[in-house]
Amino acid sequence: MSVLAAVALVVARADAPAPILDAVSFRAEPGRLVGLIGPNGAGKSTLLRCLAGLASPTSGTVTLDGRPLASLRAAERGRRIGYMPQEFRPAWDYTVRAVLELGASRTPGAALGIPAALAAHGLGDLAERPWSRLSGGERARALLAAVLVAEPPVLLADEPGASLDIGHRVDLLARLARYARTRTVVVVLHDLERAVRDCDRLVLMDRGRIVLDGDANAVATSPVLDATFGVPFTRVATDGRDVSTLALRR
Amino acid sequence: MTAGIGRPVLLALALLACLVFAACAGHRWAGPLDLARALAGDPDLGARLLVAWRLPRVLAAGLVGALLGLGGAIFQGVFRNPLAEPYLLGSAGGAAIGATTALLVPLGIPSGLALGGLSFAGAWAATVLVLAVAHGARDTAGLLLAGVAVAAMLGAVRSFLMLALSDESVSLQVVLSWTLGGIQTPTWGGLGLLAGLVALALAACLPLARGLDLLGLGRDQAAAFGLAPEGFLRRAILAGAFVVAVAVAHGGLVGFVGLVAPHIARWWVGPRHRALLPVSACIGAGLVLVCDGLARSLLPPAEIPLGLITAAAGGPFFLVLLRQRMRA
Repeated sequence: MSVLAAVALVVARADAPAPILDAVSFRAEPGRLVGLIGPNGAGKSTLLRCLAGLASPTSGTVTLDGRPLASLRAAERGRRIGYMPQEFRPAWDYTVRAVLELGASRTPGAALGIPAALAAHGLGDLAERPWSRLSGGERARALLAAVLVAEPPVLLADEPGASLDIGHRVDLLARLARYARTRTVVVVLHDLERAVRDCDRLVLMDRGRIVLDGDANAVATSPVLDATFGVPFTRVATDGRDVSTLALRR
Repeated sequence: MTAGIGRPVLLALALLACLVFAACAGHRWAGPLDLARALAGDPDLGARLLVAWRLPRVLAAGLVGALLGLGGAIFQGVFRNPLAEPYLLGSAGGAAIGATTALLVPLGIPSGLALGGLSFAGAWAATVLVLAVAHGARDTAGLLLAGVAVAAMLGAVRSFLMLALSDESVSLQVVLSWTLGGIQTPTWGGLGLLAGLVALALAACLPLARGLDLLGLGRDQAAAFGLAPEGFLRRAILAGAFVVAVAVAHGGLVGFVGLVAPHIARWWVGPRHRALLPVSACIGAGLVLVCDGLARSLLPPAEIPLGLITAAAGGPFFLVLLRQRMRA
């Protein structure tokens, strides 16, 4: 059980007229897939980087199980928080196995789980393949496997599979949703349809602030969503849910 | 491709072949049998000269080459760029300024200490400067431009120091020939010291392997996998500067070995630094052994500066890599 919390986070830059994050407070617990949504420049990725300990806020604190993240050593932070970036371009042409080995190296004994991780992510035949010869979908699966092989209690993913086709994107989000059953998972998503379908809770951000936070259905049905994105959505109800997806109204 | 036990054996054999070639090469060529007889204690003057003069120099060349290969692999790992090289990025130039100062200015401390200490300070400062200037440069061109600018400035400072500080007691010719790169014949004691420094360099660099591997995933991902990038980079740059300083202090400015050796090593054993660092050192040793042998034997009785040979061979290699990189 790992609880990740942010209190009054502010990230400001001298050359920006407004703060990138403006007094953001946020809390995520295991058992629910949390989606961070919002228009470009809302501050989603910055919030995720602060939560991962990869960016330092100008003020405010991030805590993991009540301990300030800044007080954790890098190695412990790496063991406890998994981070999947939006872009991942290794400088060297590592094999899939090498990337998993590096991911496993942050937790003692995690290397023993590499064969199982390769199998679980459908990478068994690709273990010795260099990164440059993988497709986009294979790369996304391999990176997720490398992040998850150490089984971090918290997983933060920044637009995972944003460049993937729909099939691979659905597959990737299903993997994140499964992981979220027992762990704390926060994922930044641009794809609102998938966000409503796959996430249990949605956090809507706009201009550095959280403007709406609640169950996926509640956020999906709120007019705040339309106002934030500046477009009218059509709510489509299927599968017994209030709203199973969103579509732009023509 | 060879694997397992085959690779170390093949590497050792190749290194031995380079060593034998270098020991045989010279103004007067010796055969492998002459070499064996000399090592067995042949009292002949030629055999004694071979053991007393040529062999220490050949071994020194191998050790300097090992440092150049190791330094190149460290720099490429730190900068996350296969075109990073101590010579091209000004780090060797920084070491050269320190060494030039030590050679030309009486500092009142043992000359070996001054040469080593100032070379280290110069290499470290130049590397930090390039890293600071190149910070934010996401592409190869930005990094190389930063390196070229720093190297040009350092070259100008070194030239000024040479002109301003040389006098009758320390000739410009001595310093100039040193900056063109070349291995001097060391005493056996000096050779032992150099071997100790190489061992120290390896001991300092090998523990960096995991961090360099992680850094290869990108700074953010390295941090996400538990590395503290700032602290690690400080340690890696100190180790790299030490390697470059010892190489420059003992071999002058020898370019491109630090570029070529890690490339061959990466092609052979892959990008993981646990294997890449020692293999780069071995390949660097082999390259300098061959180049030093050529330097001593191509234009007898004159000797071509080692730096000219490595630049003539490594320059085109660099241009091919640069072209490939720009296309990619």
